[in-house]
Amino acid sequence: MTERDLAHPPSVTAERHPSDLAEILERVLDKGIVIAGDIKIDLLDIELLTIRLRLFISSVDTARKAGIDWWETDPALSSRAARDTLAQENAELRSRLHALESRIGSEELSTVGAAGEERRP
Amino acid sequence: MTEAPTLTYAFAVCRGGDLTAPAEPLAELPGLGTGAPVRTVAAGPLTAVVQDVPAAGYGEEALRRRLSDGAELERCARAHHAVITAASALAPAVPLPLATVYLDDGRVREALGDRETSFLTALDRIAGRVEWGVKVYAPTGPPPASEAAPAEGPGPDRSGRAYLDRVRTRQRGREQRHTLALRAAERVDTVVRGLAVAARRLRPHGVEVTGKHRAHVLNAAYLLDLGRERELRAALASLRHDETEVQIELSGPWAPYSFADGGITDPGPTP
Repeated sequence: MTERDLAHPPSVTAERHPSDLAEILERVLDKGIVIAGDIKIDLLDIELLTIRLRLFISSVDTARKAGIDWWETDPALSSRAARDTLAQENAELRSRLHALESRIGSEELSTVGAAGEERRP
Repeated sequence: MTEAPTLTYAFAVCRGGDLTAPAEPLAELPGLGTGAPVRTVAAGPLTAVVQDVPAAGYGEEALRRRLSDGAELERCARAHHAVITAASALAPAVPLPLATVYLDDGRVREALGDRETSFLTALDRIAGRVEWGVKVYAPTGPPPASEAAPAEGPGPDRSGRAYLDRVRTRQRGREQRHTLALRAAERVDTVVRGLAVAARRLRPHGVEVTGKHRAHVLNAAYLLDLGRERELRAALASLRHDETEVQIELSGPWAPYSFADGGITDPGPTP
């Protein structure tokens, strides 16, 4: 039960306020009057954030303990992860290219027989 | 000037007369922890609650990196929320979204001037009112014994047809329970709407927030007059007594985040 015993109207003491992170995030991210600031963050970024924040569990520490670290591995959220993804993709492409090249290399040796069969109408 | 260049981070907007500068309780807040005090910027009838932040840490690229970091996002969100909560304790305050950053105080004044009417309208709407969050969950655990028992036992009938029947029965049971939970959520919403001056539906949370044992069937925000908390709690106590198939949670009071913009009420439950 997360119901807080709040018998008083909002006060300055933050501890006595709803502290569930998911609830705070859904409120501070896309609520309130939007007066676009001078520093513009791509709306898509924020949208991606909000989508993922629905999935945010109560605290980052808890998430880490639970092994959930999307902000470290999700390319949409982490530039480091994005670089890692690119590097990984690059490596995969290289290895596939290498595999293709070696296959072509070996197929060239057997082209004569194979081509003869394939070209038969 | 040899100081590092700064930007002006805006948290909330109040009516000028309501929040006099210097607003001491605000100045004591750490805000985003930049070392600069949380202060106010007056613009005609309005006052913005702001803080200086270093340009190097809150420019476009830096801000994106900052908000992409889970721990830093949490820190900023909690800091933003703390300032808004403190401001709304002093005066009706329209919350601004996280990461509303201006080049300087002059640009804040311009922005407030441009939207003066909507700010004043929003301030009138939220004055003397607070937001409450009501969440309704449906348990997703195994079905009640009465439903499951006849099909589950290691009975003599091990045919494929019997297996499929059991699967279908379980599936139907799940669907029925979910439908019942949704109906209960609508009844909860109707009761709380009756106490509120405005209501909004927020998107339900995913399983990572709720846990696997329950599904979020209602995530709603209600704007209530300050004096109605007791009625709200009594209504929820009564609902909890009647709606035994769902869990009902209350959070708040919140600064009126969900009611600061646009219209007063949403059209109600979407089909």
